[in-house]
Amino acid sequence: MAIKYLDKYPKNLAKSLWVLKPQWTVLKLLAKTVRHRPVTVLYPYEKEWVPENYRGRPGLRFDKCVGCGMCVRMCPTACIKLVDATDDDGKTVRRPQVNLGRCAMCGYCAEYCPVDAMTVTPEYELAEFTRFDLLYGPRRLNYEKTTPGMEVKLEVTLPSDIANGNPERRVSLFALDRPELTDSKCIGCKKCAKVCPVNAIEMVEKGVNDKGKPILRPVIDNDKCICCSNCVDDCPKDALKIKEVL
Amino acid sequence: MAYSSILNWIDFYQNPMSNAYYPFGDIYNLPFDISYKLWELIGGTIAWLINLIFPGNPVSIWLMDDAACTLFALIIFMLIIFIVVFVCTLISLWMERKFLGRMMDRRGTMVGMKGFLQCVADGLKTFMKENTIPGKVDKMTYMWTVSLVIGVSVLVACMVPLSDRWFVVNYDTGLLIIMAFFALAPFFILVSGWAQNNKYSLIGGMRAAELMISYEVPMLIMIGTTALLAGSFNIGDIIDAQYETVWYIVPQIIGCITFFFAATAESERLPFDIAEAEAELVEGWQTEYAGMKWGLIMLADYFRGYVACAMFAIMYLGGWMLPGIGDGPIPEIVFLLKTWFVFFLMILVRAALARVRPDQILNIGWKVFMPLSVINLAIVLLLKVGGVF
Repeated sequence: MAIKYLDKYPKNLAKSLWVLKPQWTVLKLLAKTVRHRPVTVLYPYEKEWVPENYRGRPGLRFDKCVGCGMCVRMCPTACIKLVDATDDDGKTVRRPQVNLGRCAMCGYCAEYCPVDAMTVTPEYELAEFTRFDLLYGPRRLNYEKTTPGMEVKLEVTLPSDIANGNPERRVSLFALDRPELTDSKCIGCKKCAKVCPVNAIEMVEKGVNDKGKPILRPVIDNDKCICCSNCVDDCPKDALKIKEVL
Repeated sequence: MAYSSILNWIDFYQNPMSNAYYPFGDIYNLPFDISYKLWELIGGTIAWLINLIFPGNPVSIWLMDDAACTLFALIIFMLIIFIVVFVCTLISLWMERKFLGRMMDRRGTMVGMKGFLQCVADGLKTFMKENTIPGKVDKMTYMWTVSLVIGVSVLVACMVPLSDRWFVVNYDTGLLIIMAFFALAPFFILVSGWAQNNKYSLIGGMRAAELMISYEVPMLIMIGTTALLAGSFNIGDIIDAQYETVWYIVPQIIGCITFFFAATAESERLPFDIAEAEAELVEGWQTEYAGMKWGLIMLADYFRGYVACAMFAIMYLGGWMLPGIGDGPIPEIVFLLKTWFVFFLMILVRAALARVRPDQILNIGWKVFMPLSVINLAIVLLLKVGGVF
């Protein structure tokens, strides 16, 4: 029996000095934290630095927005809704309203906004007393100190681009897509021209039909188009579709 | 005396040692001096006021009488001794929280005065809680044991002298008596764990007894070794002997390290807090104590930690003497600084090491501490016989 317990002594006594190692570690840490400060940040009194494109609540620059609804379409939590708002001239326009109770702060709206009206902001202290207070209307979404860095750009490089020897980053993938018309399906209803937020679609006469009435076909101004695909969505005959035009 | 000035009653510059009832023989005692002068002020004012209303009454004269002065001065003396020890303990509590925080890369306590007021706030909080007693405990032992644990800890903390002029009683067997009272608490913990009728408390109490039998014997051997080296159990004599030769940490380096760990175990601090073991045993033997009782138990723990550090400073670090300088103007501060330095080492060990298992503490106690203390004793005997000391 005695031999069994004696085995518990370490063969090499110097090895039992491992006890000193954690103490040396702790002493080093103490010296470090006494000279500098500990890692703890006293949150309400001091805040951590946030980068310029920090994904806080979404912000909106009312005058830049064209009301295309791209943010509504892209929002993964479906928290954005287009509502009627009055702009500076007194006209009624469509502008996004964000329900911050559902917002995931992913910043997709800012990424996909074709006119960079939607931005991210570094605001993250958003507690309110009721759920209704969490609905941020178009005017409330305004953020005073918006900087260019908050307009999050969707910068991508396609594998096909690299294969073709063009590794430059595209500013926006969607900026290079344009709606394309299937002529045989179009009935010339002008709906696409009405819904276009930037008036890029013009209805042009292309001859007359059998009954002598003019045949109207949309002509898309590629410089004005922001590829919001509202025309594609609203086309009653599916005559328009988005095509990548490189 | 129909009308008398207040200065007729207050004899502020009277030396308390000239009082016929001076309780400390021919040794000067600083806290008694302070309390005596305080009583001269308070009692003299009271006596003067009473004398203004009832001129020539016997109560005023009795109040400033030698015996009454000594009596009331002793009451104030007790308060002063306790408050000083209490504040020192609170400072070590603050040290533990702040240093432990920094060692864990946290900030530690932050409330007022660099976190010192957190101790006061915690104390007030526990005092304001409801005094609950579980239904199935044995009430008498439950209350008595916790009172005794706290009482013995406070008593032993007050008995530690801070210098040769700051003491309660100058025992010839001071070291032995302090260690005897120090070792009493585990018995009460065992009984308390039994009285609470709770399995965690019972295991905690059993572990306290187990812990005690593992470190107590080597610890007493080391105390005996120090007394042998100094030739006295009197704390003042031990410190004088260290001043005349060297700090006993030099000849007794093995014993000093062993005593440090045994004292850590004695005050039930990590890594030897197996009786409390809040990670595995809820709160160990303190499980059923709530509110003020628990707060006082925690305070008593720190009293015991303070005493362990003070004993280390007395036995190995030369107490209130500095080599080459001697007493100095404020030996109390020197002593407290040494005590807090030892406490800092205890915090370091606490932060660095994990808790030992109950079987490991028995192994360490009997198979490591015990041989080491005997080796230490042998070295001291050789030195003593060889005439070095």
